Amino acid sequence: MRRLTLVSGCVLAGAVVAIAVVSFLWLPYPPEDTSGGRLAPPGLPHLLGTDKLGRDLFTQLMIGARIALGVGLGSVALGGLLGVAAGLVAGFATRWLDDTVAVVLDILIAFPTLLLAMLLVAVRDASLGSAILAIGLAMSAVVARLTRVLVKRVLAQDYITAARTSGTSWRRIVTEHVLPNIWPTLVVNLALQLGLAVLAEASLSYLGLGPPPPNASWGRMLQEAQATVLVAPVGAIAPGVLVVALVVGVNLIADGLRDVADPTRRRTR
Amino acid sequence: MNRKTPWLIGAVIAVALTLTGCGSGSGPESGAQGAPAGTAASGSHDPEATIEIGSLYEPQNLDNTAGGGQGVTEAFNGNVYEGLFRLTDEGKVENLLAESQEVSPDGLTYTFKLRQGVTFHSGAPLTSADVKYSIEKVTADDSQSARKSSFDVIKSIETPDDATVVVKLSDKSISFVYNLSYVWIINHAAKDLATSEDGTGPYKLGAWKRGSTLSLDRFDGYWGTKPANKGVVFHYFTEATALNNALLTNAVDIVTSEQSPDALAQFQGNDDYKITNGKSTTKLLLAFNDRVKPFNDRLVRKAVSSAIDDKKLLDSIWAGYGTLIGSMVPPSDPWYEDLTSVNPYDVNLAKQQLAQAGYPDGFSFTLDTPSYDPHPTAATFIKSELAKVGINVTINVITADEWYTKVYKNRDFTATLQEHVNDRDVVWYGNPDFYWGYDNPDVAKWVKDAERSDTVEQQTELLKKVNRQIADDAASDWLYLYPQIVVAASNLSGYPVNGLNSQFYAYGIKKS
Repeated sequence: MRRLTLVSGCVLAGAVVAIAVVSFLWLPYPPEDTSGGRLAPPGLPHLLGTDKLGRDLFTQLMIGARIALGVGLGSVALGGLLGVAAGLVAGFATRWLDDTVAVVLDILIAFPTLLLAMLLVAVRDASLGSAILAIGLAMSAVVARLTRVLVKRVLAQDYITAARTSGTSWRRIVTEHVLPNIWPTLVVNLALQLGLAVLAEASLSYLGLGPPPPNASWGRMLQEAQATVLVAPVGAIAPGVLVVALVVGVNLIADGLRDVADPTRRRTR
Repeated sequence: MNRKTPWLIGAVIAVALTLTGCGSGSGPESGAQGAPAGTAASGSHDPEATIEIGSLYEPQNLDNTAGGGQGVTEAFNGNVYEGLFRLTDEGKVENLLAESQEVSPDGLTYTFKLRQGVTFHSGAPLTSADVKYSIEKVTADDSQSARKSSFDVIKSIETPDDATVVVKLSDKSISFVYNLSYVWIINHAAKDLATSEDGTGPYKLGAWKRGSTLSLDRFDGYWGTKPANKGVVFHYFTEATALNNALLTNAVDIVTSEQSPDALAQFQGNDDYKITNGKSTTKLLLAFNDRVKPFNDRLVRKAVSSAIDDKKLLDSIWAGYGTLIGSMVPPSDPWYEDLTSVNPYDVNLAKQQLAQAGYPDGFSFTLDTPSYDPHPTAATFIKSELAKVGINVTINVITADEWYTKVYKNRDFTATLQEHVNDRDVVWYGNPDFYWGYDNPDVAKWVKDAERSDTVEQQTELLKKVNRQIADDAASDWLYLYPQIVVAASNLSGYPVNGLNSQFYAYGIKKS
């Protein structure tokens, strides 16, 4: 069962990753080629048909995969880095500072990602960078809170007390005792966050706050296909299916990883 | 079900013809008399019904001299505010608050007699002082009215008595009366016009819930024929699909103008809805900033115009509806000529012109694109077309507010996309201070001379010259003319079917 979860997750997410990688090497049509005719039906020569402007949908989807993964991985990197750093600081800090950080984090977590993104877009312009920044910042709060709790739990262990009484430096405690003990849980959490980030990017683009046109983002493809969904449903279904495939895939991987990383779960199942 | 469609469309066309035929009828009822399918419905219509109108154009504010935008024209023109004259749905100018007018033989003095017994919504009577105030509001220094420059010829406005207005002009102005149909007569004592109103129209403002609805209630003290309904509520949507869904679920009774041809499929062949395909004056423009490089060069503008396949763009967005125009003049203006061949779609010609202008390898520019349909789609298409001649377009998506401040007011742009909704607006190319900055002394002179004409023929001839010249200079790139598609529930009749100036007279709408 556990294997199956991990494997099917890898297949789903891997397919999207493969599409994104292939898109750098080969595309069925140039991205700006409008020669396909308005809303051509799926078939040949356009596998999934074309959009209103006559652009090949499959090509758009492939480019959309790049953007989804790019924003997803970019914001996980940003959110992970910021979150883990803030969590470590809070975990080690004196009670007063720790409480302050905890309150700030709770407020940040309660703040909707989309609202934060809209504020950022108002200050900066709508772009790939703004999307990554907004999603990454929102994510860092979640990651920081988790890290803080994990760090505290490790610091309460007897071997840490032993290390401290034997005069081990804080830096060595972090690198040799804390991080190795918390990273499996963190990785699982970051994998879950990746799925959420992909969804957040699609929502932002749907609202017109993502990377500006003509970048083909799945969210905006959905939005553009909305007006034509009655006459050309594939235009809306195809990006939707890919978003689902990627998010479900990533979540299955996270589930599978958790089972592998957590020995207690392995025994009880 | 499908078999009925041709009949319905046929009926609508027949009625549209009838409307044109009886357009000279007087009083606000005239639009309603020959209404589509109204013959059966009007007998049993409910005078206490409220009409729910769905629109994509929410006003920015309620003052059309302070940048209220096309939304406030749609909701208020003729409904809340009235002018001395009215432009009917068929494009005719008829007397409204002015009972009669006299023009002196030299064409420089206009004497208007005001209709008696007209009161504002606040209860104050209409006097000549209000007319003077209202005209001066449009011509004031801080006025943002797009029609402001049309009134530069006014030398003085005198009010010898409460019922008489005498306007002296510094120069002859053949379209002065037509222009006055744009001037809302507002109570001179009214305050806070951006959020409230005091007009003479058949409706008074109910409530305006920003971002959602604007309601108009029947004004019981109205001087003319009472509206055929109790009131109207404009429901504002930012997205066409949501708007169409509202119509499908009966949340609204009518959609003032459909912006997507694909959505029509759900109404076609359905007896519950009627679709009309009327005249529009809305043009989609790729407006260059003619003051700045590289678009200060006529050849570059021509090259860009020739590099874009307008036909393909129109078909992409409107799927067979709509019309190509080679210039600013829509077919409903008297000085229309087909100029689509002046800057034909010809990529090789575009490349030659670019090379001649000193840009053999193209250039880059930023296209300020309003965030709402169809602008982003059009921008994407333009980017892809111009890439073929080596021009790299960066699409900068901005809101309607930003467009107004950045482009219209501050002229801080290189090129932009915008819909221009008015009829007879080719004359703006005679104003070098307009946002697009087209400055051709000949054109400015012809526009001026056309205004000075003694006859409409003379005016028409000169404006045709203007039209040809701006096309030849590619002052802007006129991408296409919108169709005006109205979809309404079939129990509705008497609504306007043409989108002239984006006005939408609601007083004739009957619901049964």
